[in-house]
Amino acid sequence: MTNIILEVQDLKKYFTTAKGQLHAVDGVTFQVEKGTTLGIVGESGCGKSTTGRSILKLIEPTSGKILFNGEDITHYDKRKMRPLRTEMQIIFQDPFSSLDPRQTISQIISEPLIEHNLVKGRQAIEKRTLELMDTVGLASRLVNTYPHELDGGRRQRIGIARALAVNPQLIVCDEPVSALDVSIQAQVLNLLKKLQKDLGLTYIFITHDLAVVKYFSDNIAVMYLGQMVEKSSSDDLFKSPTHPYTQALLSAIPYPIVGKDKPERKLIKGEITSPVNLPDECRFSKRCDYTVEKCLERNPALKEISPGHFVACARVE
Amino acid sequence: METTIEKTKSRSLASETWRRLKKNKGAIIGLIFLVVLVIAALASGFIYDYDTQIIGQNISQRLQRPSSEFWFGTDQVGRDIFARILYGARYSLSISAGSVLIGLITGIILGAVAGFYGGLADDIIMRIADVLYAIPNIMIAVVIVSLLGSSTINLLLALSVSAATSFARITRASVMTIRGQEYIESANAIGMPNWKIILKHVIPNCLSPIIVQVTLLIGTTIIAASSLSFLGIGVPAPAPEWGAMLSEGRDFMRSASYICIIPGLVIMATVLALNLLGDGLRDALDPKMKT
Amino acid sequence: MTENILEIKDLVVHYETDDGVVYAVNGISLAIGKGQTLGLVGETGAGKTTTALSILNLVPNPPGVIKSGEILLDNINMLSLPARELQNVRGKDVAMIFQDPMTALNPVMTIGEQIAESVMLHHKDFSKEDCIERAKEMLRQVGIDDSRAADYPHQLSGGMRQRVVIAIALACNPKLLIADEPTTALDVTIQAQVLALMKQLKQEFNTVMLLITHDLGVVAEVCDEVAVMYAGHIVEKGSAYDVFNHTLHPYTEGLFNSLPNLRERGEELVPIKGMMPDPMQLPTGCVFAPRCPYVMDKCRLGQPELKDHGQSHFVACIAYDSEDFKLRRNS
Repeated sequence: MTNIILEVQDLKKYFTTAKGQLHAVDGVTFQVEKGTTLGIVGESGCGKSTTGRSILKLIEPTSGKILFNGEDITHYDKRKMRPLRTEMQIIFQDPFSSLDPRQTISQIISEPLIEHNLVKGRQAIEKRTLELMDTVGLASRLVNTYPHELDGGRRQRIGIARALAVNPQLIVCDEPVSALDVSIQAQVLNLLKKLQKDLGLTYIFITHDLAVVKYFSDNIAVMYLGQMVEKSSSDDLFKSPTHPYTQALLSAIPYPIVGKDKPERKLIKGEITSPVNLPDECRFSKRCDYTVEKCLERNPALKEISPGHFVACARVE
Repeated sequence: METTIEKTKSRSLASETWRRLKKNKGAIIGLIFLVVLVIAALASGFIYDYDTQIIGQNISQRLQRPSSEFWFGTDQVGRDIFARILYGARYSLSISAGSVLIGLITGIILGAVAGFYGGLADDIIMRIADVLYAIPNIMIAVVIVSLLGSSTINLLLALSVSAATSFARITRASVMTIRGQEYIESANAIGMPNWKIILKHVIPNCLSPIIVQVTLLIGTTIIAASSLSFLGIGVPAPAPEWGAMLSEGRDFMRSASYICIIPGLVIMATVLALNLLGDGLRDALDPKMKT
Repeated sequence: MTENILEIKDLVVHYETDDGVVYAVNGISLAIGKGQTLGLVGETGAGKTTTALSILNLVPNPPGVIKSGEILLDNINMLSLPARELQNVRGKDVAMIFQDPMTALNPVMTIGEQIAESVMLHHKDFSKEDCIERAKEMLRQVGIDDSRAADYPHQLSGGMRQRVVIAIALACNPKLLIADEPTTALDVTIQAQVLALMKQLKQEFNTVMLLITHDLGVVAEVCDEVAVMYAGHIVEKGSAYDVFNHTLHPYTEGLFNSLPNLRERGEELVPIKGMMPDPMQLPTGCVFAPRCPYVMDKCRLGQPELKDHGQSHFVACIAYDSEDFKLRRNS
């Protein structure tokens, strides 16, 4: 019996635009073990959110395979997905637009309970709602308030409570703290971590913030222009980052250190290129300091350089 | 064991809107005018007898100028214009409100479908709306009324067509913005069927521009209905519809101009009140828009 | 006469709304000396942006009211300048960079024209050709090829747009550059590029900079001096080295503890408990007292004054009245 809750094979999502095919996600493969966290890191436009939404079938993938607990859900339609909605949930980035402004807190949190008939009877629903609010640290006096009356941190807790309402196994967290202030960010991160321990949750943690991902993830995948360029355990990735893009990302973090321990910064040139009509060459080659001819011949595939550490770079081939 | 929770006092968006609307003098004046008008129109049925006082002729009192006895004077066959105006409000208001309501329901459904699903449904619905939009309202109404015959119900239907196109457009535009919001994705993520998402999350959130449009459209529809009656294809005579009254007074423009002026002023005042209310609602519903 | 380019003295700004008074800025004092970069750090609602807008007397009025205080730019009080002269100061002596580069640029003008316009406004003697030449020179300086001068903002990426905004801001050699979260909307690798550029240009143009940010990492990168703001008060002020390495205020310590950055994976973060106070109902006493792990009874008595703790390192915390008080971070 394997412990793999989610398996994604060669997932692709192309959008047709006026300029041509936009390769939002271009052949992504990974597995997530039960109870662990996979961090997906990358800058805007790298396809990390599209990946997360495809897993939940909020976006229809172009090709590839998605296996949830061994069940191939790639071609499930809305109705067939419905029972699975209690198994997998999502927490959104924007605590403003992810909550319906016309619903009260209790309506927002109890909606999934009612939709899936998980709890029957008005009183039982109210009880469960209050329980959920307590779990995420929302004072019960707030049940009848509206989202616009609350601050970002509390709103994000509402989103978490709503996701937890169905008792899911897997939660996709799409930049759950990047809209929050640092002190609140830490509160929410601690909460998510505690919930994982208490409820045995599996997370896919999508973020642009390497510091957050380091704190949070067991495994990390770095994405660039729709593809994974490096994938390994969190410890390995920070100990020996191998892909030039991973190295660049790490050194671009502004560390809050002044004085002697300050790490050296290395800038990379240029900006992310457009993911439309990509040629068959290393996608990072235009910004990379190590580009050689081999890089322009074809797009390198992921290669295992040490157990569990994969890199897609011509230099390691 | 019962647990009592002290709940934080909260304000829904609706109560916030009312709080802001109360500060807008014009909107409140408009609202009061409309409320009074509606009450008066309802009461007129109990005060006046339709057969004798509203359409019954009384030649001995014809063409009397406004006085303390006849506040708005009497017309060419001696009917009390004040009574007819009040009674006529029933026609004007119910025809315009009724046609806007029919237009509202069909427009919201069509607009929501077009905006939410996009694609072919969107193309078909919106192209038809575009065509209807390109034809003047009155003309559509004239065509429909002349095809179906002149009656109050047909007038209602005729006027609702243009209301429906305008609601369909507005609804579609807001639905398309709301469709991209994360709370719609969130509803998808819990497996809610589309029709339920539209009813529960999409439509309630695009009500603000629609509410404003309702008030403004009732105003323009009153004018359209009156124009049709003025042309003689609206509410059949001798019913005291405002436009018809205006039309009947035409022959006496020189000798008894008040027969024309008073219904005209009443139409103007009602539409103005609706517009004031509509503008106030717009500001109150979207405080960010206010400069 | 002082050496300070910008001096803010006891600034108080309120927003008088229908629902009540928002106490946005409650008596802050700051100074930036020649060649310095001051980082104004704080979370949402701390009053950072209001402070910046006050410098140009741009606080939206109503509802904003500058209740009291002085803002001296090169010893001229900005708050008592007549509107016409103020107009001259804006853009020429003081330039601002905002968070969102898209809304700061005019979508129907080419970027070259926009930079040239800014040059023209303040150098009336320049001919049109001179201005365009200068605009191209500015573009080169912010690392954009001058052949792109004829591009419109939507043809540029976010990072490039922010570079254009910087070019516009620096085009007339301002004495003071105010940057309000200039890199928050950018990706990390682009942020690194833009920060490096700002640092370099600041040197070349010899301006002083007020950098407003919530990101301590960015502050560490570019600032010489740091002022930490909380609920409209400055709670700590000093050189970047001192504030980062010998932190004095419990709030500043809380900010550092909240960052997951350098901590080993898996260890629990230590967030500041509770939330920012409602700026309409600030707590009596020290504004940070309700969230402070070191709180004492006397903290509730009044907002402590900003006191020098040696080497121009100021802190507003009553705990330092006793000699042996130390934050956990430092012990």
